[in-house]
Amino acid sequence: MLGYLGMGCVLAALVFAAAGSIVGFTAGRRESPEGVKWTRWLGLAFSACMIGATVAMEVALLTHDFSVRYVAQVGSLSTPTYITIVSLWSSLEGSILFWGFVLALYISISIWLTHDRSSPALADAIATWLGVGAFFCFLMAGPANPFLPLASPVMSDGPGPNPLLQNHILMVVHPPMLYLGYVGMTIPFGFAISALLRGSLGPAELKELRNALMVPWGFLSIGIVLGAWWAYDVLGWGGYWAWDPVENASLLPWLTGTAALHSAMLPGRRGTMKGWTTTLVLVSFLLTLLGTFMTRSGVFNSVHSFSQSDIGPTFLGFIAITLVFSVVVVAMRIDRLEGEGEGGAIVSRESAFLLNNLLFVGLTFTVFIGTTYPLLAEAIRGTKVSVGEPYYTQMAVPLGVGILFLMGVGPALPWGQPTPERMRALIPPAVVGVLAGALGWAFEVRTVWPVLALVCAGFAACVTVMELYGAFRIGFARQTRRIGGYVVHAGIIMMLVAVAMSSAYRVDTEMHLKKGVTVPFQGYTLTYTGKQTIEESNRTRQLASVDVRKDGQVITTLSPALNNYPQMGAPIGTPAVYTTAGHDLYLSLMSIDSGEIGVHAFQTPLMVWLWLGGGVVALGTLISLVPARGTVAVRSSTPAVVPGAAEA
Amino acid sequence: MKRGPMILLGGLSVVAVLVAVLASGFQHDPHEIASPMIGKPAPDFTLKAIEPAADGSEQIVKLSLQKGHPVVVNFWATWCIPCQQEHSTLLAISREFGGAVHFFGLVYQDKPEAIDAWLNSRGRAYPTLIDVGSQAAIAFGVYGVPETFVIDKKGVIRQKFTGGVDYDEVSALLAGLLKEGT
Repeated sequence: MLGYLGMGCVLAALVFAAAGSIVGFTAGRRESPEGVKWTRWLGLAFSACMIGATVAMEVALLTHDFSVRYVAQVGSLSTPTYITIVSLWSSLEGSILFWGFVLALYISISIWLTHDRSSPALADAIATWLGVGAFFCFLMAGPANPFLPLASPVMSDGPGPNPLLQNHILMVVHPPMLYLGYVGMTIPFGFAISALLRGSLGPAELKELRNALMVPWGFLSIGIVLGAWWAYDVLGWGGYWAWDPVENASLLPWLTGTAALHSAMLPGRRGTMKGWTTTLVLVSFLLTLLGTFMTRSGVFNSVHSFSQSDIGPTFLGFIAITLVFSVVVVAMRIDRLEGEGEGGAIVSRESAFLLNNLLFVGLTFTVFIGTTYPLLAEAIRGTKVSVGEPYYTQMAVPLGVGILFLMGVGPALPWGQPTPERMRALIPPAVVGVLAGALGWAFEVRTVWPVLALVCAGFAACVTVMELYGAFRIGFARQTRRIGGYVVHAGIIMMLVAVAMSSAYRVDTEMHLKKGVTVPFQGYTLTYTGKQTIEESNRTRQLASVDVRKDGQVITTLSPALNNYPQMGAPIGTPAVYTTAGHDLYLSLMSIDSGEIGVHAFQTPLMVWLWLGGGVVALGTLISLVPARGTVAVRSSTPAVVPGAAEA
Repeated sequence: MKRGPMILLGGLSVVAVLVAVLASGFQHDPHEIASPMIGKPAPDFTLKAIEPAADGSEQIVKLSLQKGHPVVVNFWATWCIPCQQEHSTLLAISREFGGAVHFFGLVYQDKPEAIDAWLNSRGRAYPTLIDVGSQAAIAFGVYGVPETFVIDKKGVIRQKFTGGVDYDEVSALLAGLLKEGT
């Protein structure tokens, strides 16, 4: 019953999305206000149907309606309710449905936020969004149908979702954040296509494009950090980023999105780079599609991949069509769009922005090549290769330090011609940078790249604080974009320092701890005191209690665990972490019996700053989305009077 | 300067290459990466077999003592579906080569009772070893089950099969290894 209801909703959504897309593009070309109104209504109807289909699936999951095949695949009577709710996205078909649901939310909110406008440009944007929506509905109606009935006799219980997804609360939060980031890129994509089709991108549209990009960018940032945190807290290998194809896939649109957020600041000032900015937005969306393709097609080898599926070719077809469409639109319109501005001298801070874009695009290219190279090598030479961490470290570290450098130097430089006073303002940050490097030296940081990273980070941190101070003096309410931007910078600096130090100075060792015997590790002593077994409805947990002492005092008891899930052969570990501001002590259990445990112990510097930095980035994104009061006054003043207004 | 035609041409060529590369991926299984273990000496293991020795005593198998014979090491588990499918093939190959090639089934992450029941219903022809704590599996770099390693008379890993094995492929390989000197 629920299956038919859900399928009906999906089919209706498909009809509304296809119709809305056609009506929208027609209304955009004919500039018909009546058509724009229709497009809006069709967009809302699509959203309503998608939300209805998702509700139907949730009800089926919660009532354990095993006559729906998807529920039979991922549902289980023994899983806790919150895991049953999130098993919506624990397998292929459901995750496509969830994609449609998030798109429906974005489209309805965007339509609501633009309710006072009926411009043909808006019709083009909505038509683009609905075109994407129609494709996902098509997937659900065809190759990835979540509402198929179960052919064989209905079971009384199912296996439950993949144990890795049941193992940590972050699995409830990390995927939706990434979806909100991925799917949300559809909205700026629509605005960019609309700007290209009309060959015009005015200041109001540019601001709209930037805000539309900022929202998914923020979610993507949170999603990436949470994913790293999950990997750190669950997978038990002591690290948080493995350059896995799917991790890379989430990083790629983030990198181009970051580049676009920065280049979008230039057109407002100089009227150039509009074509470049819109192209970056298109690329960001296309990279989110590529990322989805990577997880859903079975082409890439990754912990994230769902099993081999049939949607790959369909999805690739959609990517190809979108790519060709984007290339054609850009080729047709870029000259008109770029000709709109008055142009201007490219010096000082402008150069820093250009360099910023160059570095981000360079980094995107590096990661992209590393991710797709195994496929390319196999296609051409027939050999299977995998691209490992050394390649990425070698390529990404210099680019990352370069970005840190620009985060300091860029905002410190004035727009237009640099003056001697402005150049002298670079001295205090330079001093702080050298001090940061010296501090690192005192803590035994003695290798080139980490020291350089610290110097650049000190410089950038000082500039960021100075800029924030300047912005707060003008007033928070008037400077939200600038303050938000620099808060994001502060978060990124924290994260990059944490990444540099944690990857360069991690210490680890594998050890066997006999019960009651004390073993030293990095200034701590570890004592295994006993084993505990806990039966839960969906798993059996074996916990080892390890007393951690420093200077003879017990400072904490860590309980790393191994979890056995009935449907999974190998046990899944849950590491235990003792966090201080300086470093993390991380214990991952390898084997356990009552007399002895095998433990992989790690000491990783500055880890907590990575997660805190992620939180600061989220906060900064939020601040920059608060509409500023009196922005018109700020904009009309000359750049020299308001140095570095409105950063991101 | 008009950049439109250039962008169109350049962009479409990039699209064509990208789509071709991505499409080429459909024909392969990303998990089939050649094992770095091939050409290296097989890591040694000493494990207890489920089956007792001929005299009824406990049967202990040490891999390094098998030198002089080609060895087939098959990692499997009762909860693995492809293992069930390949089991009859492995039985057939082991019968074909008799004692000239030593076969061992290494059970991965499993319970002894389940293993016994499984073998009783599907047949057995060679020793089944219990990989305590998955240590052999870790040493061999096993990614999942089934995986089958073929080791030559000198104790060097010559081939690794991921997923169910193919009768012709394995027997041809073993026939070749038998002809080699020790």
